[in-house]
Amino acid sequence: MFKAVLRRELVTPLRRPQMLLIQIGLATVFGVLIAARWPSDGQVAMLGSRSQQIFRLFSYGLLGMLLLLLPVFPATSIVSEKKSGTLALLFNTPLGAGRIFAAKLLAVLALAGMIIAMSLPAAGACFSMGGLSLYNEIGKVYLLLILVSLQYAAVGLLVSSFSQSVDAAIRITYGIVLGTSILTLGPHYFFQGTGGRLAEVGNWLRCLSPLAALISLTGVGDLGGQGLSTKMNVMGGFTLWSLACTTVVSLWTISRLNHRIFDHSRAAGTMSDDLSTSNQVLRRLVFLVDPQKRTRGIPSFLNPVMVKEFRSRKFGRLHWLMRLVAVCALLSLGLTYATTAGTFDWGVETIGGIMVVMQVALIVLIAPSLSAGILSVEREHGAWQLLMTTPLSMTRIIWGKLFSAIVPLMLVLCATMPGYLIMAYIEPGMRLQVNRVIICLALTAVFAMSVSAAVGCFFRRSAAAMATAYAVLLAICGLPLLFWMGRDAPFGHDLVETALTFSSIAAAFSVIEMSGFENYNLVPANWWFLSIASVASLIMLPIWTYRISRPQ
Amino acid sequence: MTADIIQPDSAGTPVLRIEHLTKRYGTFTALNDLSLTLNAGQILGMIGPNGAGKTTTIKILVGLSRPTSGTASIAGVDCVSDSRQVKRLVGYMPDKFGSYDNMRVREYLDFFGAAFGIPLGPRTKRIDDVMELTGTGYMKDRFVESLSHGMQQRVGLARTLLHDPKFLILDEPVNGLDPQARIEMRDLLIELARQGKTLLVTSHILPELARICQQVAIITHGTLRAFGTVAEIGRLVSQQRTIEAHLVSAQQVSQAADVIRNSMGPDAEVLEVHAEATVRFRTARPEEYLARVLRRMFKEGILVSQFREVQTDLEEAFMSFTNNQPTEALPIEEEQTGVTSHV
Repeated sequence: MFKAVLRRELVTPLRRPQMLLIQIGLATVFGVLIAARWPSDGQVAMLGSRSQQIFRLFSYGLLGMLLLLLPVFPATSIVSEKKSGTLALLFNTPLGAGRIFAAKLLAVLALAGMIIAMSLPAAGACFSMGGLSLYNEIGKVYLLLILVSLQYAAVGLLVSSFSQSVDAAIRITYGIVLGTSILTLGPHYFFQGTGGRLAEVGNWLRCLSPLAALISLTGVGDLGGQGLSTKMNVMGGFTLWSLACTTVVSLWTISRLNHRIFDHSRAAGTMSDDLSTSNQVLRRLVFLVDPQKRTRGIPSFLNPVMVKEFRSRKFGRLHWLMRLVAVCALLSLGLTYATTAGTFDWGVETIGGIMVVMQVALIVLIAPSLSAGILSVEREHGAWQLLMTTPLSMTRIIWGKLFSAIVPLMLVLCATMPGYLIMAYIEPGMRLQVNRVIICLALTAVFAMSVSAAVGCFFRRSAAAMATAYAVLLAICGLPLLFWMGRDAPFGHDLVETALTFSSIAAAFSVIEMSGFENYNLVPANWWFLSIASVASLIMLPIWTYRISRPQ
Repeated sequence: MTADIIQPDSAGTPVLRIEHLTKRYGTFTALNDLSLTLNAGQILGMIGPNGAGKTTTIKILVGLSRPTSGTASIAGVDCVSDSRQVKRLVGYMPDKFGSYDNMRVREYLDFFGAAFGIPLGPRTKRIDDVMELTGTGYMKDRFVESLSHGMQQRVGLARTLLHDPKFLILDEPVNGLDPQARIEMRDLLIELARQGKTLLVTSHILPELARICQQVAIITHGTLRAFGTVAEIGRLVSQQRTIEAHLVSAQQVSQAADVIRNSMGPDAEVLEVHAEATVRFRTARPEEYLARVLRRMFKEGILVSQFREVQTDLEEAFMSFTNNQPTEALPIEEEQTGVTSHV
């Protein structure tokens, strides 16, 4: 029985043709990476520096692939079964919660194993070039990859057990992955060397990131390096955290796998309008815009599709947008104030760097969830053919949907404007830089939105659309940073600069002159790339929409 | 095979006119030379097995599909060349509800009202009207995705009525409803027809259709097999009467079936229902032959408690037409129910 669940969990994704493409793609990428750096003149460096350089890049690429590809499988595993009703059938079998969970976890780990196995020939080639220790380098990197797979598979399953929709599960899981692997590096970068409690916290927080653990294993100068070294055993810390997290999260998920997971009463449709005046006032104070207040009809001058998109998205409701904007504004102002008041001994560039990181992370996290499912959600819920039977033109439908994504992104961008304005006021010489950063961020937002929409429109299911959009966006923004990590060796300045031209994060960093990026001249080439890619995506969107909406 | 088509009463204005409608997907013919008309204020029930071509017909009418040949018009407006205007004339309720997350019923209706270009003031009143008509007023603050299937069907009908269409196309409107909700939906459809709307309804629940439809179209394999009132279709079928013999003992069912086959010849369709101790057969032969069959059964010692003609209803007609399909029919064995059918 256990084997049956495991087999089903494993065979279902493997049957998809996309899986075959992913496997071939991975094997090709790793093969090309090794082939490109394989000694061509029959001589091998005695110190094995070349194989170490390649293995470094290769391990970052492998971790990146794992973080991009793996979360979607556990994130959809339980919630999609809950939606389709098969989870109830599973509970009705003699299988216990523990065995169901174990089967699902093992299936995800088997998929992760398959991704990792694709890299073994390349790792073998690196090893045969010499200069690498099987245990201390290759073995530890693979141990890290196994720990990462285990941890995020367990976390994804927990998120899936809580989620009510597949796209929410994917969004939250990728958010956790992004938060724990990248954002946890931030405090260490900004507080290292200060010697205070914050520096200690930053150092410990770094242990939550698999990226930091890999950096410590491969010895690469990283975003948080700044030439300082720490005595912290990051890999050891990550191992402990990963195992503890996996255990707690697994037990939590097992405790949720019972009939109570379905135990939700239908929403009663309570409205604030029916409450007492005092309650209504209290809700108004808490929410500012009460989500349970009856909405007015859609005014004739507004695009109904845009309003519908706002109303049908949980985070599209005005109170959520206001909260998001308020948090962004407060953070940017707070950071700027802290520097001005001398709380932190940071330069304006550092503040700018933090704000850029936060904003790009927010854009990359929000944009796919806003725009990747604009067509697939309609098609999945059977509402597309209803829209097609209304007199709304296709142009109006697409614009309504795009505007519903543009408005929140613009609000998020505008919310941090006060921070940038104060920054330019403190350091008038930075005005040009601030202007260029704002252009970078605005173009990133347009690019993220249009590429997500274009990628998502190829899919019938919103989960697949969203996962692919996240993967594409993170790959475009993040993979060029791999070249940056291999700067000077094995990659030269020109190659790194060319690669970074594609990354909007790198462009913003170079504009703000963040440490390690100040020598690269990425604009306006990056702006051209973002603009052309955005226009191409925006052209593709109506073409594909026309294709699916024309009469058969 | 030619269709047994009875054209509807020529009195009244035809709202729906379908002429020689054909739809092919490559070599597969989904709809073959369909022609029918429907007058204003009538309800047309379209029945047929799964994959018969009902949904293809509906999709062509609402502009979601294009025919390979032939024409279809609603209230004089061509469904293919002027599909934009047809959208304002037609209210379409698909078999799948088409919901949005986090939207309340009133917001849902408001969106579709705005999509049809109804100005805000009249829209608010119109939403109140359709909610009252469909009995959905009490669920206006509920989230659409949390509604039960029956509630969703009602909200779907309310959405269909928002722009006050002349012609309603309802795909399986009573599917999955409980008996009470089914009766209410039936009354609602009759009320809409009384208000002058023309309805095209598909359903697998044939007694429901028989009660509300003035016209019935039976489609199998993309071909219209019969079209007319329920009574007219019944008369078509009754050229082949269904006779039923109830036996005292179920053990004699097979023996009785053999007697019938020997008496009636190879053209007889004989159905053995062991669970009910009954033998049913269809024949076009006169009364004398039936008397001969009964006498032979007595002679063989078979104890017959009842021997009677079964009234032809829509279900019977449907089964008759679907069993006489152009494809070669084979004997069907159903062990679980104890039913053996020889066609």
